[in-house]
Formats: sequence, C-alpha cells, structure tokens
Amino acid sequence: MSDVQRPGADWELQFVIAGCVEKRLPIEIVGSGSKRAIGRPVDGVVTITTASLRGISLYEPNELVMSARAGTPLSQIEAELAARGQMLPFEPIDLGPTTGGPQGSQTIGAVFATNMSGARRVLYGAARDHLLGVRGVNGRAELFQAGGRVMKNVTGYDITRGLTGSWGTLAALTEVTFKVIPWPETSVTIIYLGLPDNLAIELLSAAMMMPVEVSGAVHLPAPVAARLNHPGLKTLNKSITALRLENFASAVAGRKQRLKETLKVYGKALELEHRETLEFWNELRRLSVMPHNRQTLLWRISTKATTAPKLVSAIKRYMPAEAYYDWGGSLIWLEVPSAADAGTAEIRRVTAIHGGHAMLIRAEPAVRAAVEVFQPLSPPLERLTRGLKAAFDPAGILNPGRMYANL
Amino acid sequence: MTLSRMPEPDRAVLDRRDSIVKDLEALIGVDGVISEEEGRRAFEADALTAYRQAPLAVALPRSTEDVSKILRYCNQNGVRVVPRGAGTSLCGGALPTADSIVIGTSRMNRVIETDFINRTITVECGITNLAITDAVSAEGFFYAPDPSSQLACTVGGNVAMNSGGAHCLKYGVTTNNVLGLKMVLVDGEIVEIGGAYPDSEGYDFLALVVGSEGQFGIVTEATLKIVPKPESARPVMLGFSSCEAAGQCVAAIIGSGIIPVAIEYMDRPAIAVCEAYAKAGYPLDVEALLIVEVEGYEDETTRLLRDIVDIARSFDPQVIEASTSAEHSARIWKGRKAAFGAMGRISDYYCMDGTIPLARLPEVLSRIAQICAEHRLKVANVFHAGDGNLHPLILYNANDQDESNRAELAGAEILKLCVAVGGCLTGEHGVGIEKRDLMEVQFSPSDLAVQMRIKSVFDPGWLLNPGKVFPLSVLEASGERPAADQAA
Amino acid sequence: MQTNFTPEQLSNARIAEAESILRRCVHCGLCTATCPTYVLLGDERDSPRGRIYLIKDMLEDNAPASKEVQHHLDRCLSCLSCMSTCPSGVDYMHLIDLARAYVEQTASRPFKERLVRRLLAGILPYPERFRFAIRLAPLGRPWTKMLRRFGFEQLAAMIDLAPAVLPPSPKFEGPGTAATEDERRARVIMLAGCAQQVLRPGINDSTIRLLARRGVDVVVASGSGCCGALTYHLGDEAGAIEFAKRNVDAWTKELAKGPVDAIISNASGCGTTIKDYGHMLKREPEYAARAARISALARDVSEFLGAYELGPPKRWSSLRVAYHPACSLQHGQRIKEQPRDLLSKAGYSVVDIPESHICCGSAGTYNIMQPEIAGALRDRKSKNIKRIKPDLVAAGNIGCISQLSGQVDVPVVHTVELLDWAYGGPVPRGLEPLARFVSNVPEPKQRRAEDFIHA
Repeated sequence: MSDVQRPGADWELQFVIAGCVEKRLPIEIVGSGSKRAIGRPVDGVVTITTASLRGISLYEPNELVMSARAGTPLSQIEAELAARGQMLPFEPIDLGPTTGGPQGSQTIGAVFATNMSGARRVLYGAARDHLLGVRGVNGRAELFQAGGRVMKNVTGYDITRGLTGSWGTLAALTEVTFKVIPWPETSVTIIYLGLPDNLAIELLSAAMMMPVEVSGAVHLPAPVAARLNHPGLKTLNKSITALRLENFASAVAGRKQRLKETLKVYGKALELEHRETLEFWNELRRLSVMPHNRQTLLWRISTKATTAPKLVSAIKRYMPAEAYYDWGGSLIWLEVPSAADAGTAEIRRVTAIHGGHAMLIRAEPAVRAAVEVFQPLSPPLERLTRGLKAAFDPAGILNPGRMYANL
Repeated sequence: MTLSRMPEPDRAVLDRRDSIVKDLEALIGVDGVISEEEGRRAFEADALTAYRQAPLAVALPRSTEDVSKILRYCNQNGVRVVPRGAGTSLCGGALPTADSIVIGTSRMNRVIETDFINRTITVECGITNLAITDAVSAEGFFYAPDPSSQLACTVGGNVAMNSGGAHCLKYGVTTNNVLGLKMVLVDGEIVEIGGAYPDSEGYDFLALVVGSEGQFGIVTEATLKIVPKPESARPVMLGFSSCEAAGQCVAAIIGSGIIPVAIEYMDRPAIAVCEAYAKAGYPLDVEALLIVEVEGYEDETTRLLRDIVDIARSFDPQVIEASTSAEHSARIWKGRKAAFGAMGRISDYYCMDGTIPLARLPEVLSRIAQICAEHRLKVANVFHAGDGNLHPLILYNANDQDESNRAELAGAEILKLCVAVGGCLTGEHGVGIEKRDLMEVQFSPSDLAVQMRIKSVFDPGWLLNPGKVFPLSVLEASGERPAADQAA
Repeated sequence: MQTNFTPEQLSNARIAEAESILRRCVHCGLCTATCPTYVLLGDERDSPRGRIYLIKDMLEDNAPASKEVQHHLDRCLSCLSCMSTCPSGVDYMHLIDLARAYVEQTASRPFKERLVRRLLAGILPYPERFRFAIRLAPLGRPWTKMLRRFGFEQLAAMIDLAPAVLPPSPKFEGPGTAATEDERRARVIMLAGCAQQVLRPGINDSTIRLLARRGVDVVVASGSGCCGALTYHLGDEAGAIEFAKRNVDAWTKELAKGPVDAIISNASGCGTTIKDYGHMLKREPEYAARAARISALARDVSEFLGAYELGPPKRWSSLRVAYHPACSLQHGQRIKEQPRDLLSKAGYSVVDIPESHICCGSAGTYNIMQPEIAGALRDRKSKNIKRIKPDLVAAGNIGCISQLSGQVDVPVVHTVELLDWAYGGPVPRGLEPLARFVSNVPEPKQRRAEDFIHA
C-alpha cells in the first residue's frame, strides 16, 4: 500500500504534488475511494485523498449556485440542498455498490471528475453541464482556477468542463462550483409492462418527443426487472418501461394524461405516486439491478437510442448478456459473463458499427489492466489527448494509466 | 477605440501575398478567393467596428475538404488564419490581421441530417442559428440557444463563442446543446468529436472546443440537440420604480422554485429606445422593466404567470401586463431582441457583456451609472437578469476619437467591477480582441498559462485567430511564444 | 459606424445625405440573413452590409467606382428586404440609389451592357415601342443560343422573357375619367403605367371596374406616363427625374380640377417610386412641394382598398391562393397584411409561401441584367410555391407575375384581378380552367314594399 497523503488545504495539496513532481513519483488521486475499482488500476507510489478538503464554501439558493471543496461527501451536499428544497439536477449515479465498494460515500469532486450522471440527465443534461467553476492543482503543481460562480461565463477557454470526465489524470480538483435546481413539487412514474426492447425504446422516444419534460426514461427487460427491490414490480415477471414526470402537481397531472393518451397503443399503464417514485428512481440510482457479482462484467455503452436494442441483440449473438437501458435507450448497462478479454473485441466492434462508445465498468483488476477500459480513440483524438495530458501533467504523474495505458 | 494593439504582421507573408492568393485559388477555385482591395475591406470588421483591419485575402470554402486544404496550406506556409461565420461578433472575434487569411463559412449552410426520434440535427457550420429552428419547427421542435443575432449568426460562430441567448436560463448555452463536432485541425487533419449519442468519449474535447474562439481549429459540422417545442410560451411585463425592486423580484422568483425560460431586464433609456422601434407597448414611466417568460401547456403557463405576478406584487410593481396572444408575445420580444439595433438608431454604442452574481445587481447598476457619468457618457442597460448577464450599452459618437476612447475606458471599468463582485468579463459574447487585455483582471498568470498551453496543443504555431483572448504582453512573456512571431 | 469624410466632401449635399445614412449602420449583420444574393452566394460583398461598406469606401475615397464595386452593386436587387430587417433603420434604398448614380457618373461600362441598358430604357417605358418590340421577339427566339454563346446573355434573357402572344390592348387606356355608375364617394388618379398595360392589360381594367363599382371615379391624367423607376434603377437619375416631373405636372393639373382622394398604383414597383417623388425632387425648387404632395397621396391599390368597404363578394370559391408579396410592396411600401386580408375577405383561401421575404428575382430589369442570379431566385421561389400546392398565385406587381408565369405549373395573376372577379368582374385571363370551381353567390330576390304589404 502506498503512502496516503491527506492535504487539508489547497496549498498543502500543491506542496505534496510539488514534492512528487520533483521526485517524479506517480500519484493516485482519490476522493473517498469509492471508484477505485473503476478504470485501469493505477500504480501510485503516493496516494492523495481529497477527503480532508471538506465543506461547503458558498450556497446562494436564490441564485441556484453552490461551491464546495472537492472532498465534501455528496451526501452532505444533497442534505444541505434538500434543506432548502433544492437538488443536483443530474442525479449523480452511485457506482459504489455495483463495483463492490461502499454505498453513498462518493465525494462531489469525484462526481465531476468522472462526469457521473443519472437518469435525470435526459432532461437536464450531464454533470458537466452543471459545473460552473473549478479550482485545482495540475501535474506541474500549479494552483489554478477556471470558470467562476455565475451561470453564463465564456471568459477564456472552458477548462472547467474540459476537466470533467478526466478521472484525475489532468488535475486534482480542490473546489467545484455548480448549478442546482429546485426540487419539484411532486412526481409520478408511468410504467408499461411486457414490452420487448425495440418497442420499449420506441415508446421512450415517443414520450421524449413530446414537450412534457420526461425526467427519467428507462427500460428493464424482464430478467433485470426481477432484480428490483420494489416488492410489487420485481414479481411481475415482465419487462418494465418507466417514465418519470416531475413538476408542480397540476402540471404533472395534466402531462401524465397527455402522455398516457399518446402512448395508449402500448398497453395499460401502471403508476407510481410520488413516494414510490422517489424509491424506484433511488434504487436505479444505486444501480441495484446490476448488483456486484464476480462472475460477470459490467459495461456501459453510450449510443443512439434507436440503435440501442439492435446493438444489444448484436452483442447477444456473441455472448449471453443482460441489458438495462437508461437515458431513453441511449445508455446501456450491459452485464456479460467474465472473460479474460472482457468480450472487448466483440463489444467494441459492435459498438463501432452502431455508433457510440463503450467503457468497461466492472472487472477484476487483472482484466482491467489487460484491456482497454475506456473507449479507444481515433488517431487525431489520441494525439490531442496526449497533448492535453502533457499540457497539464508533463511528467505523467497524475493517475498514470488510469484511463489509457501510457497516459 | 483602438486601445488594444494587434500583433505585428509577418512581413514575409505580406510580401508573398500574390503567390499565396494564386495558391489558394488553385486549391479551392477562383470564385472562392477574394483578394482585391475593396473586397478585402468588406471583411475588415465584424459587429465591433471600432477595430478594423483588412486581411491578406478571404477564402470562402464550400466543404470540409476545402477547409482542410486551406488549413494544410496555411500551416505549411506559416500563414495565419481567421475563421469567420456571419461576422456578427460583438467582441471582434472575427477581426482579421493584415497577414491572415479569413476563412468564411457562409457557403457551407446545408442541413445534413435531421433525426426527430433521437432529437438531433446535423448541420454545416455556416447555417444560421434560426435556420436550424426553421428546419425542425414544422415537426414541433426547436434549437434552444437563441442569441439576439440568431437571424444572422452562424452555428460555427455560436460554437466558437459558446453563445447564449435570452432563453438559456432553462435550456443552457451552446455547450449544453452540442453533441458532436467535425473540426479541421490546423494541419488540415479532420477530427470528429462526439456524435449523436450522450457524452463524448475520452476527455471532454467538446467542452474545450466550444468557446475556444476559433483558436483550436475550424468547426465545419455540428450535431446538435433539438428540443420539443412547448405548447405555449407567454411573457409577462413587470415594471418597477427602482432597479433594486426589480432585482429583488428576480431573486424572489428564482428562489421560489419557478424557473422561467427567460427573465430580461431593461432600464428606462433602453425601454424608450426599444419602444420607439418595436411599438411593443412597453411602459415608458418605469425605471426597470422585467420581461419574464414561462412556457408549457396553456393551463400551466396561466398558473405560472399568476404565481409570478403574486411574487412580484410584494415588490410594488407599477405595471403588470401579461401577454394575451401569440402576436402580443411576439411584439414584446421583438423590442427586446432588437434592442441593440434599435439603439443604433440613436447613437453608436459599445456593448458590454459582464456577468455578476444576482444579489449584487442594484449596487452594480448604480456603479455603472456612476462610471459612465464620470466619463461623461450615457448608458442604457438591457440584459438577461435571470443569469446575471449584463449588457450595458455605452452610447458614444464613433466620429469623436476622444469620446470613443472614453467609452472604451468606461467599458473596462465596468468589466473590472463585474469581476470584483464575483462575476466575469464576458457571459456570452466572448473575449475576442475587445476584452483581451482585461483577462489579467480575472485570471492569475498561472490560470492563463494553463489556458495557453491548451492552445498550443491544438495549434502549436499559434496561427489560428491570432491576437485574441490572451493579452499580448502575457503571451509574449510566456513560453507559448507563437512561431510566426519568432519568424518575424 | 464611424465615417471618414472631409468637411469639403460633406459640403456636397449628396455626400452629406450618404454620410447620415452610413452613420446609422452599426454593422450588426442581421441584414445578411434576409438578403437574397447573400443567401445564394454567401459572399459578404453581395450582402447589404458588404455593399454599404463598399459604398462607404467608394465615397470616402472620392475616386471613380471600381469594376468590383460596380459589379457587386449591380447585383443588388433593390428588393429592400434588408430594410425590413434592419433594426437600426438604415435607409439603404436611398443609399444604393445614390451610389448607383455615382457609379454611372464615374465609371464606364462595356459596350454590350450599355447597349442593353439603352434598349431597356428606350423601350420599356413606352407602351407603343414595347408592343412593337414584343412583336419582333419571335424573330430573335431562334438566335438566343447563339447570343448566349457570344456573351449576349442579357439580350437572350430579354427575348426569353417576352410573351409569345401579345394580349389585346386594355379596354381603357386614358387619358380621361372612368366615372362610377354608383353614387360617387371618392375620386382617385390611377397610374396607367407602361410595361404592365402591354403585358397584362387586364390589371388596369380590373382596377377600374373594382373601384368604379364601389363609387370611385378613376382618372388617368393626360400627360402622365412611366413612373421613372426603370430608368432610375438603371442608374439614369436625370432620365428618371424627367419622368417624375412629367407625372407631377400631369397630376397637379388633375388636383387642381377637384379633390383627389389618392393616387393609385397597381404595380407596386411604381408605387414605391411615386411615394419617393418627394425625396427624388427635393432639390428641384419648382417641384419639391408639389412632389411631396403627390407622394403623400400615393397609395398602392391594396392599401386603398384595405381602407375601403368592398361589401360581400358576389362569387364564392374554394380556390387555394398562394399570396406572393412583391418586394416593393412588403419591403418598399411595408404593405404586408392588406392584400392577404382583401383576398381572404373576398372568399379565397390564402396560403403563405415559405421564405416569402425572399425576392423572386424579377426586380425591375434585374432578370434581364443578371439572368443567372435571377434564374436561381426564380427557381427557389418556384420550389417554395410548389411545396404548398396552391391552385394559383396572386401578386401585386407585374414584374413578379411575368417572372413566375410558366414556372410554377399554376396561373399567376394580380391581386386586383382576383378581387374584381370575386366582386362581379369577368374571369381573369388564364384562369378559365378554374372558373368551374367558382360559383355565383345566390342573390336574394329584391323584394318591394308591395310584397310585404298585402293590401
């Protein structure tokens, strides 16, 4: 186990990194460590955790903006927001349980560093869409800031968003500023049963073509639906196609009727009222339908919604697979049996044909070290990626190899 | 108004003008290259006319391949390049240098593909912002970012500047609505970033390219989100006797849990000018006018407007007038959308674009009035209040050099004020040449160094859109010294 | 926008006028989006903003117009779409007119172009000469290919545009007064026009019938003729002013005879010019005041009728009419709704053409001088019209009607012809096949008092 550093201030973090730069020591940067099992394993001599960089530094409910130090637990942020009737728009997903880690421990910095969004992304956009400003230390041990605390800001390049999804390979974040939204007055979930994948995606697309602001659109084929904790839904033995509406009460009621009217050809709809809706989507947010399992691997595939069912059935020609469709079908969580190459060749080939990208989320460390975990890049993109890495971290000491080998 | 200097032109390139023009003509055809004196001069400015410089030549490519050929050539020959969409930039984003080739994308304006089921559209980047909405509106969709110049500005320009608009309070700005880009890198290589699926792979290059002010490459195609159009959208006009009351009302509306699609603010001078142009029925005897728009189904907008009016009542509004019909709404917006142009009827103006935290609004407005008075200039304020994006319009006489300089100085003071209260220099127009020398107010040397290194990744020779974004002194002092300058 | 004129330059009234127009432009670029030539060509120099810049440079330099400036100004349609778009109120119309006159004075043109311009200016404004020329056109038709090959595209375009069959002369050519048979409620002067009465005499006839039927005396003044627009837009300002003066003289005489409610034009291109007489003649001391009075009285026929109760239509139809707003009407005179409303009230079902703000390419003599661009605009317009599948097209300007006839599969007529038909006039020329879809509104039997009082 490497040496763990717990800086409590920006300058301390800068100081630690400066020391590593000097000695060329590779660093593993973690928040709470809940996503350590994701990505390629990092062989860090020094581990830096941002867990001691805690606290909410700014919260203006009337401006819908909050700043927090990077190591602040997400749970603390959400509790603070909920106390003022607000929330994070993008409903960050918790990959802890599915990857065998703890539940509910991730930090706000890590949420943005990995750009982890949940079901509500279909309406409000991803984590990166809500990040307004960052402070951080790059691999040159420079403390820098980008963006700010206002919603509209095009002063200089958008480094703020550029750092989302960089998995700590470009900089260690110390503070993030982000946009929040009010909690809706109420919500409802409309559920259709027993639809095959292609019809289900058609239904989800039809719903999202209407101006009713669907804020969740998922499809769980029958075997996946059976894994739900919800006592009523898990025993139906049927696929579940669910749509969520969130708004003030009268709008939810009106929009629900419009949706059901348009979608009546897909059969009779069940409804989950507000409390059950909260439970159902919370469960999905923890990815409970893809529980931790050493016998299987978990892939995350991003594609066009209408091609998703075809993509899944193409993969099924090569291996058994269970899929769960989020984001109206444009995100596939795919569970396949363990294999030394993680099914990489087939899955990447099929994804390439259908358009999109795939990331291996859950696999044994040996597998993750052996295969490309992140989507391989086109030659020009790879060239830019290496250039960007070198611009931030010329010595290559920040999370080396986490995203791509030799990077 | 010429306080910011441009980099020295490369003499060697200027001397080779004729042969460069000939080479470009061979690459993309004679009708795609403009080289005569008068023609080049028509490209010497965008919508910030205070800065003017005719380019070496102008190229009007018809395809991504044309752009690639031109860039490869320019890169090999050390010729600088200035990308240009419709030339509607308010910060001099398309201002040429004497030794640069302007690449205008106006001939690349096709819709390539619309996909209503997946709610995306792929277009060439020279298409105008409004033409995208026109292409999808019959099916009940629209493209959300709506800069005031949306009639004329191009998507390529929107991507370069990460343009916003009145309705981004709800729908976000350009970067939140772009899914994929096709871009030509400075060496002519064509790269595709993202696509018609969520989250681009690897690093978020979409985020870096959107808002890079044409300094990373030339975007030639974009895949964008389209959004189903709400059944109705209705604005209400709220007039107040003080800007404090209006500012508090905005905060109260947002704090209440309602997110309107737009909250626009006009002060007394702006109201008078817009009303004279648009006959929108704006009240002329209030100090501040808010236009708050909500959307949804008919019954919902009625309720939301009622809620908003209820909130507004506690701030003692002098005027409450909700739109009664589609025409009425159009009229109300016509005045606001044409505000800049309408201001042009009475005076030259210099348009600022700072953003501030909303809570500081009253204080900032009174400081702006003070600053302009100190410089003996008039000012009108029109802005997106919901997100704190201010557009003070400083009125001046462009034919009076002293007044022009005073306008520029007052503008700089206003922007410094925006940064001082926790905001930023520019919310949606971009840095360009106009705010370049103020960047040090907002960023430390290391912040700027981080940005400049990214520029070097994309464009090691610093050939693309030279002289913009970074103060020349900072650039010259840094290690990222542009190759062309070294040659000169 | 900043300008750089010397005080000497500004002492010239025309330069001073140009300067004041230029100063209003803020270079925002909105006009580019609605300019037909920019939309087609994507070149700043072929946009209003670019042309304004070219004009500014040309005037500031005080030098003869270069070939390039001439070329791009020639390509302007003068459709004035930019003026509808411009939020700053830049008076592009007078700027481009001024610039054109400057170009004609300072730059030369090749022989071919001068020939065509002479021909047009010498023929079109004179109905007799124009009729004669159309009769000659068939002789030229076999040679158009050859003319094109030798670079006489414009001559070829002229021949192509000439109608194959010359319609009969109008029923009333004036001068004189077509008196109403109804109780007299108004007296108007009508511009009989030049090319229009040759190409489609039915328009004047319809106008007179429509007005006279509702109690309006229609006067065609002795001595009046072409409005001058044609020569003006060819850059011959002096010639245009002569035409304007003749009309002002002729109409002033009519004004002296008795009250005139309006001076009506049914070709919107001409109407725009008459409305500008006050401006054109403002430097002519003898004419300025009278011209201003004439301009103040000028009305497009649809504008006049819009303010005038026409009563219920006499015929009922379900015809789907695509209303094509002529640029001179929608942009030049800012008349947008009245023609549509009149057609709707007359019982037609009116549909709008997509991109209706974009010119059809006719633009006076533009389709002869710039056949390539005019052709592209005509095709674009035809495609847009076909998309909405109308039974016929209505427009308020003879130029558009000639430009689109034969291009869109359906007849193209003047708005007043349709109105006259609906209110009891004959079937307009070319609409005979549609007549069976139109039926008379049953007239309630006129009852007399005796019918009710059974004595």
